Amino acid sequence: MSISTPGGPERRPTLVSTGKKPAAGRPAPDAKAGSGKPTGSPRAGGKGPRKPVTPVKVSQGRAWGPIALFVAVGVLAAGIIGYGAWASFQGSKPWDKKANAIDGIVNIRKTDKTSLDYESHKSGPLTYKYSPPVGGVHNAAWQNCMGDVYDAPIASEHAVHSLEHGAVWITYRPDLPKDQVDKLAGKVRGVEKMLMSPYEGLDKPISLQAWGYQLKVDNADDKRIDEFIKDLRVNASVEGPTALCNQGVTATGTTPRELQQQPPTQ
Amino acid sequence: MTAPTTTDTEYDETQPAPHEGGRAPARRYGVLALAALLVVGLLLGYAGGLLTPRLTRPGDASVEAGFARDMTTHHAQAVEMSLIAYRSATLPEVRQIAVDIATGQQGEIGAMQTWLREWGLSPTGSKPPMSWMSDGATVKDGLMPGMATPQQMAALRDAKGIEVDRQFLTLMYAHHLGGIHMIDAALGETDNAEVVRVAETMKATQQSELNNLRQLQAQAKG
Repeated sequence: MSISTPGGPERRPTLVSTGKKPAAGRPAPDAKAGSGKPTGSPRAGGKGPRKPVTPVKVSQGRAWGPIALFVAVGVLAAGIIGYGAWASFQGSKPWDKKANAIDGIVNIRKTDKTSLDYESHKSGPLTYKYSPPVGGVHNAAWQNCMGDVYDAPIASEHAVHSLEHGAVWITYRPDLPKDQVDKLAGKVRGVEKMLMSPYEGLDKPISLQAWGYQLKVDNADDKRIDEFIKDLRVNASVEGPTALCNQGVTATGTTPRELQQQPPTQ
Repeated sequence: MTAPTTTDTEYDETQPAPHEGGRAPARRYGVLALAALLVVGLLLGYAGGLLTPRLTRPGDASVEAGFARDMTTHHAQAVEMSLIAYRSATLPEVRQIAVDIATGQQGEIGAMQTWLREWGLSPTGSKPPMSWMSDGATVKDGLMPGMATPQQMAALRDAKGIEVDRQFLTLMYAHHLGGIHMIDAALGETDNAEVVRVAETMKATQQSELNNLRQLQAQAKG
């Protein structure tokens, strides 16, 4: 909206001035001729019977200029307004619509919803249908997901709890080149509701998980990684945007930890 | 036929010359009028876009406002109970779920308070609690459904050891049941998309927490 408004007045003067220029040029020769009528005279130059023909050409020429300009301005204005409308529409599209539009994403919420159901927290090792898991039953403790970059595999039982809280979990094959690992870590470090760890037995070099969503890619430069994070981080939370990512397990190791008894801080 | 037409056109074509001077300004005015119309149209649209949400947002006596105010109070007690459990409970799982409940509900309080500000309403209402619910007769001693009495809260604060876990689990279980009752009432009466979205998340969270609380109750008994 704000773009099109300044665009309007800016453009309109050019329209007006094109109309003015010939009009301003005319009066001078006309005044000398003594009659304000023959507009075509400056261009036709001659007198006599040719006069009627020349104005026709002039008026035709004058008609097309403004029309073309009008159309151009109109198209431009419509384009600006249209783009603004489209952009704001795209921007306000719900996150799940945007996520579903990512090429190659697997939406388990749609394809296999029941695999995400669970009764209550469970301790000990658990088996998951998807590798890496994207939801379902999990440990009472979540893996810390305050932008944590784990350099060794972590327990899925904790990571799934992090997914429930809205985290995006990036996993990669342990043999992924270091520069690619660093690139991924750069998307995680310092970003709340993000965690990352190597994962044994991946069928693709990199796999991204959110609660009920998965995307597997070959390369850390894949643009879809950023899209996945943008669309699903926090949004995919089952418990709303303020579910906790701190106070979780910060240790690595694929065996879920039993929470340690701590002395009450009374 | 042909002859008259040619003369006509010739006349028409000669005519424009004298009128040309008058036509350009006319066209100019047309352009100006069009520009003005466009600007007025844009302004109208802008004004409409500004006003519509204002006219359609929930009012002071609405279900949405009542829900936001009362659920804030309801949540606030859950935050207090949870932080006591986070500090003093014995079972690590109880402390873990307690901190999750505390921060989650405190966050939801923030969302609900933001609604009230956006709707231009006070966080405090002039009507008694729960009056927005059609079966609003469920307030006992000023307490909304599921809320712990002052005596129960005092006992929880004074409890030691596993007794903290047990009391917290009992109180929080009842608290969630009452909360879900209130959420259901709001969901039944509002069509505000944002309120529905948050209320449904709240309900799903509290329902899954009920299962976990019940499981921990069994654990705390032994």
